[in-house]
Amino acid sequence: MMLPLIGLLIVTYLLAPIIVVVATSFTTTAYPTFPPRGFTLKWFEHVLTAPEFVEAAQRSAVLALASASIATVLGTLAGIAMYRHRFKMKGLIGNVMLLPILFPTIVLGLALLIFFSQIGIAGSFGGLVVAHSLLTTPFVIRMVMASLGEFDPAIEEAARSLGAGPLRTFFTVTIPLIAPGVIAGSVFAFILSFDELVVTLFLAGPDMVTLPVRIFTQVEFSSEPTISAVSTLLIVCWVVVGVPVYQRFLSVKHK
Amino acid sequence: MESGAILNRSELTPAKMFTRNPAGMNWTPWFLVAPNLLWLAAFMGGGLLVLAAMSLRGYVPGGVGISDTWELTHYVTFLTDEYTLKVLFRTLSIGVQVTALSLVLGFPLALWLSRLRGMSRAMLYLVIFVPLITSAVVRTFGWMILLSNNGALNASLKAIGIIDGPLALLYTELGIVIALAEVLLPFMVLALDAALLNIDVHLYDAARSLGASRLRMLVQVTIPLAAPGIVSGSILVFMMSVSAYVTPSLVGGPQVPVMSTMIYQQSVSLLNWPFGAAMSFILLFALVALLSATYASGQKTMVKAS
Repeated sequence: MMLPLIGLLIVTYLLAPIIVVVATSFTTTAYPTFPPRGFTLKWFEHVLTAPEFVEAAQRSAVLALASASIATVLGTLAGIAMYRHRFKMKGLIGNVMLLPILFPTIVLGLALLIFFSQIGIAGSFGGLVVAHSLLTTPFVIRMVMASLGEFDPAIEEAARSLGAGPLRTFFTVTIPLIAPGVIAGSVFAFILSFDELVVTLFLAGPDMVTLPVRIFTQVEFSSEPTISAVSTLLIVCWVVVGVPVYQRFLSVKHK
Repeated sequence: MESGAILNRSELTPAKMFTRNPAGMNWTPWFLVAPNLLWLAAFMGGGLLVLAAMSLRGYVPGGVGISDTWELTHYVTFLTDEYTLKVLFRTLSIGVQVTALSLVLGFPLALWLSRLRGMSRAMLYLVIFVPLITSAVVRTFGWMILLSNNGALNASLKAIGIIDGPLALLYTELGIVIALAEVLLPFMVLALDAALLNIDVHLYDAARSLGASRLRMLVQVTIPLAAPGIVSGSILVFMMSVSAYVTPSLVGGPQVPVMSTMIYQQSVSLLNWPFGAAMSFILLFALVALLSATYASGQKTMVKAS
C-alpha cells in the first residue's frame, strides 16, 4: 500500500518546522542550528527570567481572555440562531458573520488602525480587544453550530411542553447541552487571539507588545535559540490547552 | 396572486411548526444575531468605510502628510507603475502555487486520514491539529532555520547529490511557497477530510464490483465526490496565502515584496496611509474578481455536466 508511505512523507514536511524549532531550543551553540549540538536548558532559563518575554506573555494572556470572552458571548448567540432558526436573509447574514475568517488580516489591520486613530482609541488595549474579538467570533460560531448538530431538539421541546419558559429552557437545557462546544470554541478563540500577529502589529503601541509581536521583532533582527525556546514553550502549552478543541474537532468529523 | 400568497404562507418547515405564533414574525433569531451584527457593523464596517475614504485622500511626502483633497492618484499610480503591478502579479502567482502545492500534498494526506479509524485516526488528526494551533511566526521561524544556505534542507539535498552548491531558498519566491504551503496545509486537509468522509463507502464497493481499477476509482469516484472540499479548501488557502504577511515578510524579506508587505511598509513605516489604503482595495478587488471568475466558470462546468 503506497498511501501510508506518501502520507508519512507529507507528515514529515508538515511537522518539519515544529521539530526544528523544538530541537534547536536545546542546542549549545549561540545560534539555532539543526541538528542541534549538545544539550542545554539555558535558553529556557533565559526566556523565563527575561522580563520582555514574561510581560509580553502576560499581556497576551489578558488580551486573549478579554477578547475570547466577548467572542464566546457573541458567537454562542449567533451560532444558536444560525443552527436553530429560519429567518429572512439568513444565508447572507451567515456569510457576513463568517467573513472575518476569509477577510485579509492585513487590510483589516490597516482599516482598524486608521479608524481607531480617528475615533481616538489608537494604541489602546481596548482597541486590541475589539479587533481580536472580531477575528475569533466566527470560529466560536462554527464550533457552537457543530455541537448543536449533535443534539436532539426534541429535548428542548420536552422541556417546553413540561411548562418551562423559553429563558428557563435556554439556561437549564440548551446551554448545558452545548457547553462542550462553547468551551471548545472559547478555548480556540483564546489560542487564536494569543497567537494573532498581523492586526496586532498595526494596532499595538510600543508599550503594548504581545508575545507574538515580541517573537516576530526578535526573529526579524536576530536569530538566537531563545526564540526557539519560547516557541517550544508555546507549542507545549497549546498541545495541553488545545485538547478540548481537538476532541471537539475529532468528534464532529467522526459522525 | 391570491393562490401564490396562500402557498407562501402554508410553506411549513419543521422550525416553523414549533413556533408559537406562526402568523407573526419570529424575533428570537434576530435578538440572537443582533449583538454580533452590530459589533461587526460598528468596527469592521466602520473601519472599511474609513479605509475607503482614506484611499481617496491626497498625500504630500516630506513630513506634510495627508491632505484634504479627494483624488484617485494612488489607484492611478499603482496601476500605471510597472514595479507595483509586478508585486501584485507575484502575490497572485504565489497564491496559485501555494494552493496547488497544498492541494497536491493535502489530498493524499486527507485520503489517508479518511480511511483510518479509531486510535490511528485520532493520532494522525493530532499530527495535523498541532501545526494548526501553532503560531505562524513559530513555524516560519522553523522554516528560516531549514531554508538557510547552511540549513538542513540544503545539507540533505547535497548529501543525496541533487545539488552541488547551496540552493538559494531563504529570501526567494520559492522559499515563500515552500513555507507558506506548509503553514496553510492543515486548512486544506481539514476541508478535504470533511468532504471525503461524506462519501458513501458503498459507492467504492459498487465501483470495485463493476471491475474499476484503483486509479479509475480515484479519478471517477473519489475526486468528483470530493469536489466541494477541493473548491472550499482551495479558496480558503488561496485567500489566506494572498493576504499572508508573516511568512512572506520573514522568509521573503525586503528582496521579495508582496502586496501585504508593501501595504505594511507604506502605511506603517512610511506613514503613507492613503497609498496603503488604495493598495488594500486593489488587493480586495483582485480577490473578489478572481473568486467570481472561478465561481462563474464553476457554474458553467456544472451546466455542461448536467
